[in-house]
Amino acid sequence: MTVLLQTKGLTKRFQGLVANEDVDFTLSMGEVRSVIGPNGAGKTTFISMISGHLRPTSGAIFYNGQDITRQSLPVRASHGIIRKFQTPSVFTGLSVYQNIELSVIASRAASRHTAARVGEVMELVRLNDQARTLASTLSHGQRQWLEIGMLLGAQAQLLLLDEPTAGMTAEETNATGVLINDLTQELNLSAIIIEHDINFIKSLKAPITVLHLGKVFREGTFEQISADPEVRAIYLGTD
Amino acid sequence: MAFHILARFDGEAKFAVVVFVLLALIPAALGGYTTYILPQYMCFGILAMSLALLWGYTGILSFGQAGFFAIGGYLMGLVLSGAIPFGGFVVALLLAAGLGYVVAALLGYFLFSAGVRDAYFVIVTLALSIIVEQLAVSQSQLTGGWNGMFVMRPEVDLVVAKVNLYGDLPAFYTVLAIVALVYVLLHVYTRSRHGKILVGIRENEARLTSLGVNTAWKKTLAFALSGAVAAFGGALYAMHSGFVSPSLGGVLFSTEVVVWVAIAGRTSLLGALLGGIAVSWLSSIISAWTPAYWQLFVGLIFIVTIVFFRDGVAGAIAQISRKRRSKT
Repeated sequence: MTVLLQTKGLTKRFQGLVANEDVDFTLSMGEVRSVIGPNGAGKTTFISMISGHLRPTSGAIFYNGQDITRQSLPVRASHGIIRKFQTPSVFTGLSVYQNIELSVIASRAASRHTAARVGEVMELVRLNDQARTLASTLSHGQRQWLEIGMLLGAQAQLLLLDEPTAGMTAEETNATGVLINDLTQELNLSAIIIEHDINFIKSLKAPITVLHLGKVFREGTFEQISADPEVRAIYLGTD
Repeated sequence: MAFHILARFDGEAKFAVVVFVLLALIPAALGGYTTYILPQYMCFGILAMSLALLWGYTGILSFGQAGFFAIGGYLMGLVLSGAIPFGGFVVALLLAAGLGYVVAALLGYFLFSAGVRDAYFVIVTLALSIIVEQLAVSQSQLTGGWNGMFVMRPEVDLVVAKVNLYGDLPAFYTVLAIVALVYVLLHVYTRSRHGKILVGIRENEARLTSLGVNTAWKKTLAFALSGAVAAFGGALYAMHSGFVSPSLGGVLFSTEVVVWVAIAGRTSLLGALLGGIAVSWLSSIISAWTPAYWQLFVGLIFIVTIVFFRDGVAGAIAQISRKRRSKT
């Protein structure tokens, strides 16, 4: 399979604190990857360096074979690397339609296709009957979907999803898992998903990268990772 | 949703038609001094719209709008007096808009690309007002310094007919037509893709950046357009009032613009236009009645509006009509 994203020796230091150290990571085109790890493992820092929100201290990021380490955030986004934030970040004062419309405008799609594209995306994230609803009055789960819809509207190729099910009910979490699997398979998108919800990670059936203290600790399938005593130890402690 | 937007568009467009028709009837209804003075308040309305575009739509507050207004005013004066040896009234209007655009674009480029925002941006725009006022004072060989500059009303050759703007009635309708044109152009602009992006910047700039929009650049363009509109309004004002002075660019006047727009409602262009006209009109009525305390009265109106209607009068009207619609 073709490599979509690759990081080499990616390191981020905040003053004395090492948030990420020497992270080598490879993602194939169309692949979904779960990134897990205890609090403070450096998951969000890692995603932020890929999205362009943070500059790495050292190391390099390659996307479609091109070195993007020095590219700015909007440039990366226009190449399809788009991030969903841990706390849903939407245009709260605007309607669902207007939210998606802005993301489609951001993708620089021809204006005559805008309305059709907005309709398509609203259908994909199951918000088509909420077009006129203000984003501020959506439920927490719907807001997460709206933000995912905005990544689609902006024509993301690589979805960076930071805790997409945070604050969702069990039912919403399940639906989100189905949604992400559908999207990545139907539209051949790739995704890196940070999560804590173990049932959700299981339902994704995606390979897992475990981060611990800023480094890659393990990589493997859900079965391998969940059976690994050392992974259990870093979550629960050994002594 | 498309219908929803259309309905809202028609709502304000219809209202705007009514407003402009009523304004056109004023010379017949009131005549005299009102016919003379109202066009100047309409120019203030243009200034108010320049701020609404920036503050209401994009979420960027500026205390520098009067600076651009004065730049336009002096430019008109210099062209009509022959100190700038080419062009006439129409060329001066366009030159003023161009100069306002360039000054704002340069300032905006350096500030926004360096990430200057919120209160820090406000402070720089405040400084801009002071600089323009000081320049107007110090360059007295051009501007007349503290004495100000007299501007002769011109005769305009409109191909089909010559209009002598010296008469109050032709001047009134010329200004009204230009104000209506500016309103329509800005209205169309706010509904364009770029206009929608400005609203996105106001609502959540970080999200828009993360979707791939270079917001610093978009904000620079918005500020440039706002500067162009303000300078254009100033040039029109100078032609009509026949006089420009340094205080036209000062901080005090810039603050007044913010007050008009805050009272009228910053997220509506029509609201801002009416606010600029109504509040400056009201100010002059109150100041004629009580010259010592008129600012106190305007200040009270300002405080009361902000306390009870955070989004100004236009915001309150929009809210009431939304409530009514959701009931039916």
